Amino acid sequence: MISLRSLRKSFRDAGEELRILDGVDLEVAAGELVAVVGASGSGKSTLLYVTGGLDAAYEGEATVAGRSWRALPERERARHRGATVGFVFQSFNLLPMLTALENVCLPADFRDPAPPPAERRARGLDALERVGLGAKRAKRPEQLSGGERQRVAIARALFAEPRVLLADEPTGNLDAASGAAVIEAFGALARQGLAVLVVTHEERVSQVASRVLRLEHGRLHG
Amino acid sequence: MRAGPLLGLAARSLRADPRRAALDTLACCLGAAALAFFVALGLGARDAARRLFPGEARLVEIVPAQVALGGILGPAKLDTDALARLEALPGVEAVYPKLDLKVPITAARPPEGLDVHWPPSLAIQIPAVGVPAALVAPDLPPGARFEDPGPDGAIPIVLSRRLLDVYNGTIAPAWKTRTLPPAPALVGLQLPVQLGQSILLYRTEARVEEGRLVLAGFSDRVPLYAAAMPIETVRRLHRAFGKPEEPASRAALLARAQEDVPAVAAAARRMGFAVDDTERSMAERVGSLVGLAGAALGLVALVMCALAALAVAQSLGGSVRARAKELAVLRAVGASAGDVRALVLAEAALLGVVGGTLGLGVARVAAAGADRALARALPDSPLRPETLFAFPPWLLAVGLGVAVLAALVGALAPAALAARLDPARSLA
Repeated sequence: MISLRSLRKSFRDAGEELRILDGVDLEVAAGELVAVVGASGSGKSTLLYVTGGLDAAYEGEATVAGRSWRALPERERARHRGATVGFVFQSFNLLPMLTALENVCLPADFRDPAPPPAERRARGLDALERVGLGAKRAKRPEQLSGGERQRVAIARALFAEPRVLLADEPTGNLDAASGAAVIEAFGALARQGLAVLVVTHEERVSQVASRVLRLEHGRLHG
Repeated sequence: MRAGPLLGLAARSLRADPRRAALDTLACCLGAAALAFFVALGLGARDAARRLFPGEARLVEIVPAQVALGGILGPAKLDTDALARLEALPGVEAVYPKLDLKVPITAARPPEGLDVHWPPSLAIQIPAVGVPAALVAPDLPPGARFEDPGPDGAIPIVLSRRLLDVYNGTIAPAWKTRTLPPAPALVGLQLPVQLGQSILLYRTEARVEEGRLVLAGFSDRVPLYAAAMPIETVRRLHRAFGKPEEPASRAALLARAQEDVPAVAAAARRMGFAVDDTERSMAERVGSLVGLAGAALGLVALVMCALAALAVAQSLGGSVRARAKELAVLRAVGASAGDVRALVLAEAALLGVVGGTLGLGVARVAAAGADRALARALPDSPLRPETLFAFPPWLLAVGLGVAVLAALVGALAPAALAARLDPARSLA
């Protein structure tokens, strides 16, 4: 489902080239949860954004659901991302002016063709129910706890019924109980057939992960 | 991205920062208000000037010069030859000779069939000018006759349209009598008159005849101060009362287009004639002043719209930078760079629509206030315009369109910036 081949990416910092990814190869199959751990600044987030097609400046090949990001024009890339990839971020990244339900339904605005409003709402409510927040659909992000916000973010990621879930430090801003619930949710999603790639510091992820890889000096180690 | 969700998301983005949205809306509002107000003022003032001086814009009235030095083509006499040469001038479509009636006509009784209060001792002397039928024919009702009826017939006359306004606005209230009905209802009225009778001492002719005038219609081509009658009738009356023969005492030149008027007037002056531009020059002066003022104020309004665009550009630019992470999230959930660009433009369009609509309302309110001030400042008169503003539907569309356009122009750079933002870097 996810295929990364000879992935290389470097940054220029004060005139010096920093190679953040240096020949990364990774395969994540459907139903597999892979955790990538590593020190801060090791390139974990970069790896995730390249995998999700948000970062197009790299060498090598990144393929999701059988389509290489590089082969797609920008608009197609966006549509493919919207249809196949769900993102979950450390800081939730919910839009503050939208309710929980509106945040969850946000991906529908960019679907082509867009689902009818009634279907959009029903799917959004269903996604919220799946994370146990159906009753809080009208709340705005600032009215929710950190754990609830992350569950809303997960519901948003699941709204489009993606085949791949990419999570960037999803438990970083959560207390232990909320973090554990999120990790458990990811395990369940993988068991339902999603390919889940989580970059994290959270050791507990290893309890549900199929594989735990360490990103060090631009390379993945098993 | 479809328009509905796009506008919905744009509206919610604007509501998230109400202060910024209010300031941008205010900028668009001021631009649209200024544009609509000043353009409406220009249009309304021009309409008011046209109502005050409704003469045909293509007509040039010429008279023999008081001090005739002679033009390069000969002496300034309005004889048949001069009329022919005037007709041959470039830009002249037709020449209408006019002949002032030198025989006094006085009415001492009201028009027959019209119930108006006519004081017993009232006698009104009616100045008249003879004109060719072709001059007033376009304004006459179908079937109306405007030709010399002969010695025993009722003489057809045509009056200025404004005369009715003046009567209803000043004379009728002063006499405490009823106002006259609209012009079409008055056509056909007959007024008994005495031909040769003057209200001035020693001006009554040696003989006085009973006669009748019949109202054939109203026209803007007739001066306010006189009744127009067929020029053949004037010549017949001159012969009957022993007045000297003359082809014309003045002439109206009809230019092919309004743009030809200055050249036609200049050519007539070169021939040694004077241009009787009392009304025309007043209308032109007012029109020019209104046009000049309108253009200057329109320029001010456009500058205000440009400032509104700059305000929107600065504000939206700051907003895009502040919302870089939000926009990156949109990219993460499936938005393309084009979607993000469209979102920023949609926000601007909404600002323009709301600001423009408010601005048009502000312009209408300001115009109503200015009209009330005008009504207090000017004495009550039928010639006082009811409004100095005109808001045709197209102006509302233009006002709204310019507000939206200004906002969109201002949003171009921020929208491009939003589309260029690197989502990975913004999310990091």
